[in-house]
Amino acid sequence: MDVIDARGVTHEYPDGTTAIRDVDIRVERGERVAVVGANGSGKSTLQLVLGGLVDRTAGTIRYFEETTDPEAVRERLGVLLQDPDDYLFNTTVREDLEYGPSQLGVPKEAATRRIRRLAADLGLSELLDRPPFRLSGGEKQRAAVASALAFEPDVLLFDEPLGAVDARYRARIVELIADHEGTVLVFTPSLAAVPEVAERVVLVGRDGSIAADGPVRSVLTDRQLLTTHGLRPPPTVRLFEGILDPAEMPLTVSEARRYLERQCG
Amino acid sequence: MTGILGRSAESVAVALRGVFAAERVAARDGFLQRRDPRVSLCSITGLALAVVIARTLPVTVAIGLVTVALARLSAVPLWRLVARSAVVTLASAVVVLPQVVLLPGEPVARGLGLAVTDAGVAYVLTFTARVGVGVALLSLLALTTPFSAIVAALRALRVPVALVWVVAVTYRYLFLFFAELRRLVLARNSRTAGGSTARDGWRDARRIAGAFLLRALDRGERVGRGMRARGGARPPSPYERSRALDRHDYALAALAVAVVVGSGVVRWT
Repeated sequence: MDVIDARGVTHEYPDGTTAIRDVDIRVERGERVAVVGANGSGKSTLQLVLGGLVDRTAGTIRYFEETTDPEAVRERLGVLLQDPDDYLFNTTVREDLEYGPSQLGVPKEAATRRIRRLAADLGLSELLDRPPFRLSGGEKQRAAVASALAFEPDVLLFDEPLGAVDARYRARIVELIADHEGTVLVFTPSLAAVPEVAERVVLVGRDGSIAADGPVRSVLTDRQLLTTHGLRPPPTVRLFEGILDPAEMPLTVSEARRYLERQCG
Repeated sequence: MTGILGRSAESVAVALRGVFAAERVAARDGFLQRRDPRVSLCSITGLALAVVIARTLPVTVAIGLVTVALARLSAVPLWRLVARSAVVTLASAVVVLPQVVLLPGEPVARGLGLAVTDAGVAYVLTFTARVGVGVALLSLLALTTPFSAIVAALRALRVPVALVWVVAVTYRYLFLFFAELRRLVLARNSRTAGGSTARDGWRDARRIAGAFLLRALDRGERVGRGMRARGGARPPSPYERSRALDRHDYALAALAVAVVVGSGVVRWT
């Protein structure tokens, strides 16, 4: 089943700038997709349009093969905005984590259990009664991720969820995204995390149109394609470029380590 | 930092420090900190209402003593309470000061062709004391009850949800906008070499005010999206929280009721 079926979607800003142009994306249930692109390519706008938070100027988006109205399926879409300060607007972290579940009709007991688990996972247990404006950048990012996961949406649409977090919680957020049983769309300019969270890559070109859409390996090992659109291949690809065939190239540090261990006997 | 922008950044920092200091006091173990926020909110509002009803200095002073006693029981330093109330109190004293010569009564002093009357002095003292005690009570509430608890109490007391949301979001975004303003000023100062004239300062202040307005509008739009992303297009429906009141809660509420009734009796009999 297609959870998102976008056809010919375009968004123009009021000043006439086209942020995304004639975008076609079909995402099936359970798919893990990374939407990548250089700064200013329109990734965040595309996320907002797909999440039904910004109106498109042309095209159609169908959700779960049932409706074109995103508000009708709001509890199934977990849209995480890029800036946590836009997302955390309650007086305490706890209230922010409760906001989505309470608005979307999750019973209090179930929400409390989820929030306790997420807070423990993301190191927020001691911060629940703090006002969000007293948190550091990384803490805000973790609180925002927890808030987006708190109502257990079917589809995650996360814009740069790893932006401000340290290595420990970066790994934890990657795990949470990987463990999510539904569909995942992660919007990021950083290609290093893509193999850990996605199996398919959609590359947004500099003009806001889709420049490539395919398996992670084929996109991330195509230096010419990435360079044309203002991106660099991930570090492991750069390391083994010209040495290994793209089909064998390690995409992550752990894959590279395993490869080297094999070679060293 | 000097000049209008330097002073603006410093004022913002001072305001934020004040809020953080209040949070530390609210985290202490004290009488009001242990009360149910609904009871604190209603009782202190009741005491403030008694101050409004009171028209005599003795009743106002008596309520002031209750305020001081509550502050002591709640580990609130008196100097902090006075400091938070002083500006408004002094400003109100300045506003009503002309009444010492304008109100008719027995002259108690003369000078510059004007007579200071006993009724005028009594009015200014009573008015200033009422403002001072009223502000001190509200400061006491703010110092002993975290804002989130006040918001939760408003919800529990069935204040219209939309109104509570407006209050809560305004409070939250006040700090965000403070931080935004401070960042803008610091960004300007970090790239300002040497001293700048007052004229330069005002010119930059105009630019920063324009940029701040645009950023504030943009932020408002993005926050709106953040709310919609989690069901904000639907009517607010926060989870309810309640706890059983204890005998100290009832005692505080009874004290507030007694003071309001006493103040009313003194005024209307």
